[in-house]
Amino acid sequence: MTEEKKMKKPRGVARLIPDKCIACGARCQASCPKDAVEMDGRGEPIISVEKCIGCRKCLKVCPSEALAIYYTPEEQKILAEIEARPKTKARLEVEEVGVEEAAVLANLKEYRGVWVFVEQTASEPAEVSWELMGMGVDLAKTLGVELCSVVVGDGVKHLCRESFAYGATRSYLIDDPVFHHYRTEPCNRAICYLVEKYKPEIMLMGATGLGRDLAGAVATRLQTGLTADCTGLSINERRFLLQTRPAFGGNIMATILTECTRPQMATVRPHVMPMPSKDTSRRGEIVHESIPVKEEDFAVKVLEVIDDRKEGEVDVVAAEVIVSGGRGMCARENFGILQELADELEGVVGCSRAVVEAGWMPVEHQVGQTGKTVRPRIYIACGISGAIQHLVGMQDSDTIIAVNQDWQAPIFEVANYGIVGDVFRVVPAITRRIRELRTQRGS
Amino acid sequence: MSSDIVLFAIVLAAAIGFFLWSCFRRFRLVTLGLADNRFHDIGRRLGNALLYAFGQRRVVSRPFGVNHFALYWCFLILLVANIEFLLGGLFSDYISLSRLPGGAYHSLAFIFDLASLLALLAVCAAFVRRVAFANPYIGGLNRDSATILGLVAVLMIAFFGMHAGEIAQGSEVAARYMPVSGYVAGAFLAGVPAGSLAGLIGFFWWLHAIVLLVFLNYLPYSKHMHIMTAIPNCFFKSLVRVNTQPREEFKKGNTFGVGQVDRFTWKGLFDAYSCTECGRCSDACPATFTGKPLDPRLVIHDIKSNLITNGSRLKRKTAAVLPLIGNGQEQEGSVAEEVIWECTTCGLCLEVCPVFIEHFPRIIDMRRYLVEMQAKFPEELITFFEHMEQRHNPWGIAPAERTKWAVETEVRSFEAGTTEYLFFVGCAGAFDARNRRTTLALTRILSAAGISWGILGKDESCCGDSLRRLGNEFVFDRMAEENVRIFAERGVKKVITQCPHCVNTLKNDYRQYGAELEVSHHTELINNLIKTGRLELDEGRDLGKVVFHDSCYLGRYNGVYEAPREVIASVTGQPSVEMTRHRERSFCCGGGGGRMWLEERLGKHINVTRVEEALQTESGTVCVCCPYCTTMFEDGLKDRGAEGKVRVLDLAEIVAGALK
Repeated sequence: MTEEKKMKKPRGVARLIPDKCIACGARCQASCPKDAVEMDGRGEPIISVEKCIGCRKCLKVCPSEALAIYYTPEEQKILAEIEARPKTKARLEVEEVGVEEAAVLANLKEYRGVWVFVEQTASEPAEVSWELMGMGVDLAKTLGVELCSVVVGDGVKHLCRESFAYGATRSYLIDDPVFHHYRTEPCNRAICYLVEKYKPEIMLMGATGLGRDLAGAVATRLQTGLTADCTGLSINERRFLLQTRPAFGGNIMATILTECTRPQMATVRPHVMPMPSKDTSRRGEIVHESIPVKEEDFAVKVLEVIDDRKEGEVDVVAAEVIVSGGRGMCARENFGILQELADELEGVVGCSRAVVEAGWMPVEHQVGQTGKTVRPRIYIACGISGAIQHLVGMQDSDTIIAVNQDWQAPIFEVANYGIVGDVFRVVPAITRRIRELRTQRGS
Repeated sequence: MSSDIVLFAIVLAAAIGFFLWSCFRRFRLVTLGLADNRFHDIGRRLGNALLYAFGQRRVVSRPFGVNHFALYWCFLILLVANIEFLLGGLFSDYISLSRLPGGAYHSLAFIFDLASLLALLAVCAAFVRRVAFANPYIGGLNRDSATILGLVAVLMIAFFGMHAGEIAQGSEVAARYMPVSGYVAGAFLAGVPAGSLAGLIGFFWWLHAIVLLVFLNYLPYSKHMHIMTAIPNCFFKSLVRVNTQPREEFKKGNTFGVGQVDRFTWKGLFDAYSCTECGRCSDACPATFTGKPLDPRLVIHDIKSNLITNGSRLKRKTAAVLPLIGNGQEQEGSVAEEVIWECTTCGLCLEVCPVFIEHFPRIIDMRRYLVEMQAKFPEELITFFEHMEQRHNPWGIAPAERTKWAVETEVRSFEAGTTEYLFFVGCAGAFDARNRRTTLALTRILSAAGISWGILGKDESCCGDSLRRLGNEFVFDRMAEENVRIFAERGVKKVITQCPHCVNTLKNDYRQYGAELEVSHHTELINNLIKTGRLELDEGRDLGKVVFHDSCYLGRYNGVYEAPREVIASVTGQPSVEMTRHRERSFCCGGGGGRMWLEERLGKHINVTRVEEALQTESGTVCVCCPYCTTMFEDGLKDRGAEGKVRVLDLAEIVAGALK
């Protein structure tokens, strides 16, 4: 007996590999059953050697593989001995631990394929769906599976063919008048029906109003994980989808895994992924499906669709480039130079609250706490000091360029590029330079 | 006279009967309201009634209030004369003050005579004021007020006519002691034959009797109902500052806030009956002043009209016919939804009301209903409410950034036992670049004075002030519970904060959650430090003229007026400059009551109005002591193009600049 006990396989202790921690937000600490992990000021773990039992839970949750198991020389010796011995109880014991996990993994293996939900309104596809196709092609290739599109609507077969042009090789179609207007419940049922029947391992949707609504409902019904607003998607060596998104107000990038359930669901905002090229020569297989749903089954009825877009009204929320002006623009007439720059960049003009108050711009241009919250690719703030009420409406923009006379203006705290100078000289100069570059490239 | 007596008895009985019936109809509706204990501490309450009702303390705070004071006391004195008059009309042989000993009767006759003259003069003055001076207050001259003034004037004239007749007749034993009536007798009735005199006396007697009874019966149907309700309303006044709202119980089946008039407390309804429509709240209210549809007087008036319209139906448990919260299309009796969102909860209406009506708490009651029952609120609040729920701060900034301000300085965490004060930084102090400067200034002061302080860091979350004032009691409730739990867990006893809104919430709102914290605003703490010599200042710094702006939540809500002024005086060596409206009467910056998170679409901007008032003092520095005031003033100065000439400094920044 004593012999047996001495030969028990040592478990070692977890240890941090220097420079590999990404300060993900203390996941190792959260996963530790023995409170052996403390976080230091930089957000990196300090693991207590006394408390650690070598359970490896922290290794599993670490997104950057920054933790490893460390064995003392004595332990290594025992390990080597165990290795050297014929298959004994000690080795079997190690294998037994993985039984439960293996069952889960086996279940996961039943799921194969990458799906992209094709969002449509009145048979018009949302561009984000095609952007996701581009991403989906890469993911499917890495996994060695098919990329499929999912189309649910009324008279939308053309979207299946369009999806082939963007890389899908198969398209699941549910075409029924029930789906004429989008409603959460019917659409949720349709998607869940398809997922349960064909078992895809990955399901992508656009992080639009509709997509966010549907993805949450589907994930809830399927009891699977969903990562919203991903900015990066890739596959690791265990076939898991690595879903990367900003967390804690953009301070860190979190990579999220759906470990035990399938499909792995993710939403991606419009314009985050590049638009793939369209090849209308590509063909694929359309799989017609129908589910027995009746109009009477649903309590929600769409009585009327009211379009709130006014003729000629700008939509700052949807714009990819916003050239915004503040009180520093001094007068209504001066917004002309911002409009010129915006036109050159195919963007729109935004403004701060003070500008609306002064009557220089209509209210739909207003960005900030009480205006619109925007996330364009480029936000150019001209003559905006950057009061917090404005900052919260635009600080998530991909790139912020600030032009202001006051070098102490808080706008420079959030800006990627800051230009301290007179807007009336800087802005026309930028416009001029862009035009020059454009003509050079043209010639 | 016997047939006259019978006739009078019938008239009197009918008049008294109708009056009592009217009063019953009106006052039984008050019992529709919810419970509110206003009966404790009777002694203090009687004192309040004496001082504010009989002493007219608040009425006379405005010059013309003296006229009301005179009229009021004449009314009280003549009440004795009029009771004698009515009873004497029935039992003239038995009840008459002339049966009193000579001296007593003579004195009373003299007093009644003079009081009547004074009342007549006061009525004339009131009438002249309404006619000659355009709009002394909104609705100053209307049918109601003209009727009452007319009735009182006729009553006095009848009094003199009656007594002058008796003097001319020689039947008045106190004739020598009634100078006014005596003068009228001498001037107009000399030489009138005895028969005509008797007729004249009879005419004036009946005129007096009829006008008196009409007056009595007019009261319950007019704004002059306050004659009956003002004294009790002063008695029932809140014994503490009105600086918090009651909690709500979140249980299934409960309704929240007030969407129907019977959901107010009985005191809320009694308030509505006490309003005399004097318009002092309208003159004071920042929203009314800047031309917005909100007028606290009309809100109270609408509650009264609504109660009268719907009350008897609600008593019978049938549905109300007039909505309490309307869409702005209804006539009186409905408070328009947009009006409800315009209030800054500055509390000036409560401060000026002579009869202690509580206006803005009713507005918050209705906000609660809109938010919690209807989910109806201005669009901008969607973002605000979301941010508060999800990130526990108004801007939705990551909680991890709460300590970002502290990177340039050494800051410790609060630890019970070793740290004395918790420095509750507040959202503006932690996130807003402008107000972070105040935070840093304050930390320099604290360190210079050797105060032991620490912060909660990421565990701090918004106090929830704006949520509560905006009526989102549910989210406030959850945040308050959580904050109080953290305070208890961390062993927090003493708190310093730079934001009056945090002060008020931590001190007064959280008391309902069992937190008994000693909360000091930095102005009070700094003042103490200077007084006790713990803070060494480079005194007598010449900052030019410094005008001080009172924060509503520090001043009116918590009674701190002196501390900031004393600090300014010790730093600059001279007293602060005052704006016309200051201390108790200070005008709001426009940022309180959740207005910070709302657009100001109608009327002139409140902050600009206040900035203009500050600019009139020609001071180079505006001293504030609230993050909202800082923001509102800086915005307003930019709007007036004065940002280069006048600077806005928090009191802490002024003091930090003078540290040795």
